Amino acid sequence: MKHGGVTKFSIQNLLGPIVILILLTHFVGGASTSLQLITQFALCLFVMVLALQVFVGNSGVLSFGHGAFALIGSYTSAILTAPVNIKDNALAMNQLWEPLVSPQVNVYVSLVISAVVGGLVAGITGSLLMRLNGLAAGIATFALLGVAYNVFFNNKKIGPGSQALPGVPWITNTWILLLLAAFTLIVVYFINISWIGRTLRATREDAMAAPALGISIFKVRLIAFTISGAIAGLAGGMYSHVAGTFQVQDYYLEFTFVTLSMLIVGGSASIWGALVGTFIITAVGQVLLMMEQDIPVFGIQVQIPLGSRAVIIALTFIVMLLWRSSGVTNGKEFRIPKLKRIS
Amino acid sequence: MVQSILDAISLGGLYSLAALGLGLVFGVMRLVNFAHAELITIAAYTLVLTAQFPLAISLIFTVLVTVFVALLMEFSIYRRLRGVNPAIMLIASFGLSTVLQRVYELMFGALPRSAVVAPFLRGDFKIAGLSITISSVITIVLTITILLAMGYLVEKTSLGLQLRAASADFKTARLLGVRSNRLISAAFGLSGVLAACVALILVIQNPQISPYYGLNITILSLVGIVIGGIASLRGAALGGFIVGVVLSSLNTLLGNGRVYAYSWLFILVLVILLVRPGGLLSKGTELERV
Amino acid sequence: MALLEVTNLVAGYGKVEVISGVSFTLEQGKSIGIVGPNGVGKSTLLQAIAGGIAPKSGSIIFDGKNIGGKKPEDIVRLGLSLVPEGRQIFSGLSVKENLALGLTGRRNKKGANEAIAKMRELFPVLSTHENHQAGMLSGGQQQQLAIARALISEPKVLLLDEPSLGLAPTVITDVFERLQEIIGMGTAVVIVEQRANLVTSFAEKTIVIRDGRVQATLTPADAANSESLQRSYFGAGE
Repeated sequence: MKHGGVTKFSIQNLLGPIVILILLTHFVGGASTSLQLITQFALCLFVMVLALQVFVGNSGVLSFGHGAFALIGSYTSAILTAPVNIKDNALAMNQLWEPLVSPQVNVYVSLVISAVVGGLVAGITGSLLMRLNGLAAGIATFALLGVAYNVFFNNKKIGPGSQALPGVPWITNTWILLLLAAFTLIVVYFINISWIGRTLRATREDAMAAPALGISIFKVRLIAFTISGAIAGLAGGMYSHVAGTFQVQDYYLEFTFVTLSMLIVGGSASIWGALVGTFIITAVGQVLLMMEQDIPVFGIQVQIPLGSRAVIIALTFIVMLLWRSSGVTNGKEFRIPKLKRIS
Repeated sequence: MVQSILDAISLGGLYSLAALGLGLVFGVMRLVNFAHAELITIAAYTLVLTAQFPLAISLIFTVLVTVFVALLMEFSIYRRLRGVNPAIMLIASFGLSTVLQRVYELMFGALPRSAVVAPFLRGDFKIAGLSITISSVITIVLTITILLAMGYLVEKTSLGLQLRAASADFKTARLLGVRSNRLISAAFGLSGVLAACVALILVIQNPQISPYYGLNITILSLVGIVIGGIASLRGAALGGFIVGVVLSSLNTLLGNGRVYAYSWLFILVLVILLVRPGGLLSKGTELERV
Repeated sequence: MALLEVTNLVAGYGKVEVISGVSFTLEQGKSIGIVGPNGVGKSTLLQAIAGGIAPKSGSIIFDGKNIGGKKPEDIVRLGLSLVPEGRQIFSGLSVKENLALGLTGRRNKKGANEAIAKMRELFPVLSTHENHQAGMLSGGQQQQLAIARALISEPKVLLLDEPSLGLAPTVITDVFERLQEIIGMGTAVVIVEQRANLVTSFAEKTIVIRDGRVQATLTPADAANSESLQRSYFGAGE
């Protein structure tokens, strides 16, 4: 979490990642049905990583709490859209709080609501959490994740408790997901180059400098945390509509670790890093999954023991940290590589 | 009632042991070692898998294995991350924790392994008409013994002095001749010993070992060291104790609502952090700087 | 042969070069002062010698061995101790414990008690407060504690970074009197100081560092001549 971060608008910094996002979605997502689904999930995760980037990447304050916002976003969007008969009868859902049973909202409206709810929860909790610094803040956000997990796991009035919630309407069109991801990317980019991004990065470099400049660290962090919570809520909402079903565990430790490692592997200081990190971790995971199932990868057949995939991913991540803790992109934004002239 | 109080004290003691293990490592290298959980887990596996041997042999073996894993962690990964931003180190330990969980899963399977460890410590006895579980008494006795031993080590020995000095200011400690590699290895080794002790107590109560066995207690102790005051070992031990006692009391007091015990605990943690960001025993803002 | 011989030392932090080619020598039982304006890298120089940072190039020969790039804990065992800037005593530990930490760097594990006894004799104020928290001591007492703590390892060379910092004039005199005694016992001393006058008159020779290099070498005679002192300090024509 070092350095990087752009303050001036540059068309290639913004358009580069968008073009690559479109190309990846088109070529990878269009290659096969299974790759299409993977691309859809990756787009949701990318939005989540962008949420982390705007807060963690800029402020340098670690947050384990974003899983909570994604979880809440996921539930919000799912409960608002799942068919009444499923909410009424299925599994443990018959204990659902009455006012939550009947609402039927359009999928896209529900996504907006999940972002709003995510932002609200982040804003309320952030108004307490953002008073903390450093490690205390990290652990406190962990407590937030713990509370969210504990409550949703046990409370059957607001969700299915420890069971999966089935029947969430699907979003099958990859381009809609892409549109949402690109929209988020643009929002995050403009926040990063605005005074919010600049000030956050200043507080990261030197926590003493900001108050001297008359900037309230608390205020700017709270703003970023709220925006970031809204994006995480959106990511959670998207995820629920891609998966069609989910449970509380989906947003706990593993989710937190995977999304944070995507951010850090790519380089937490830039949106380009967020894209690269999401791509690398997804791709590595997918290739390893195929190896586990003994499916040839690009014509080469290598088999690895079942279950070793997660070990290798996490190890890759650690090696990455040892090698370059500022990520593959070194926290830099996208630039068109300069071609060297031959003569 | 008596049993509840004993339970609270024994859980508090157990958590303070786990918190001490985390605090030792944090002190010398500002690392929140999330993978401490996997030290407890490997110790528990070793205890269960060597249960057919006499307890003493099984114990010695367990301590050796756990210390070995702890040193291996330090040597292969954390040594290379020294001086890096603590947030990065925390994430790395998170990753290491995942790696080890999966490795355990590959080695021992995803289903719990179990065996009866120290059966004579199960059951209960009656004193003045009150029924009390043997394990709670044993836990308290064991914990007090280990805490006293740790207290002696930290307060009275040269190693302890070096640990305290290095926790306060590693750079100056090195200028005075404190050997960094050795001291950090010693801290990891000790945290391994403590993890083995924690595992022993846990296994007596619950011998169903899964790859995630140590996770719960580690997360809660982590919370404990933060509210106690991460910069001092006393703070860590106190924080762990508080978390254990509060959790045990919540479980008793909340009745049917006990499923939300964690939430109340975490909310309490947030409140404590907001009132005292550096932890209960902090004088300044040590935590803020990290 | 000189006890400490620093040749063309280049040091800094990250990519920034602060010291760019400093050389000096120090004989056993002698003293050398290092002066220069703020931020010229006097502390960097001492840190590089004591192992706090690795030198980029150049050599540091101490007692016939090249110690450049060695770890601080190994260098102190060879007999070279640094009293860092701002004293850096462990304020949460007792005076006694602070002194005991000094024992860590001893080559010879025997004679520890004698070494402590000697420090008590040299700095009587420390034994009166030995069970107090070091943070409760006054600035001058803390400086004495820091020096005593570094001396317990019986170094051949003692490096001091701004020993007068934040001390009242009478206390400074006191501290420098102790330093004189220490030199008298055969320990060579390197003193980095802001107060050029003070150290120039104290040390056998004093080097002036500016722009990362040695600009002049002064003797106690120069201390009296404030004009020549100023000229070498700030450079000609300023």
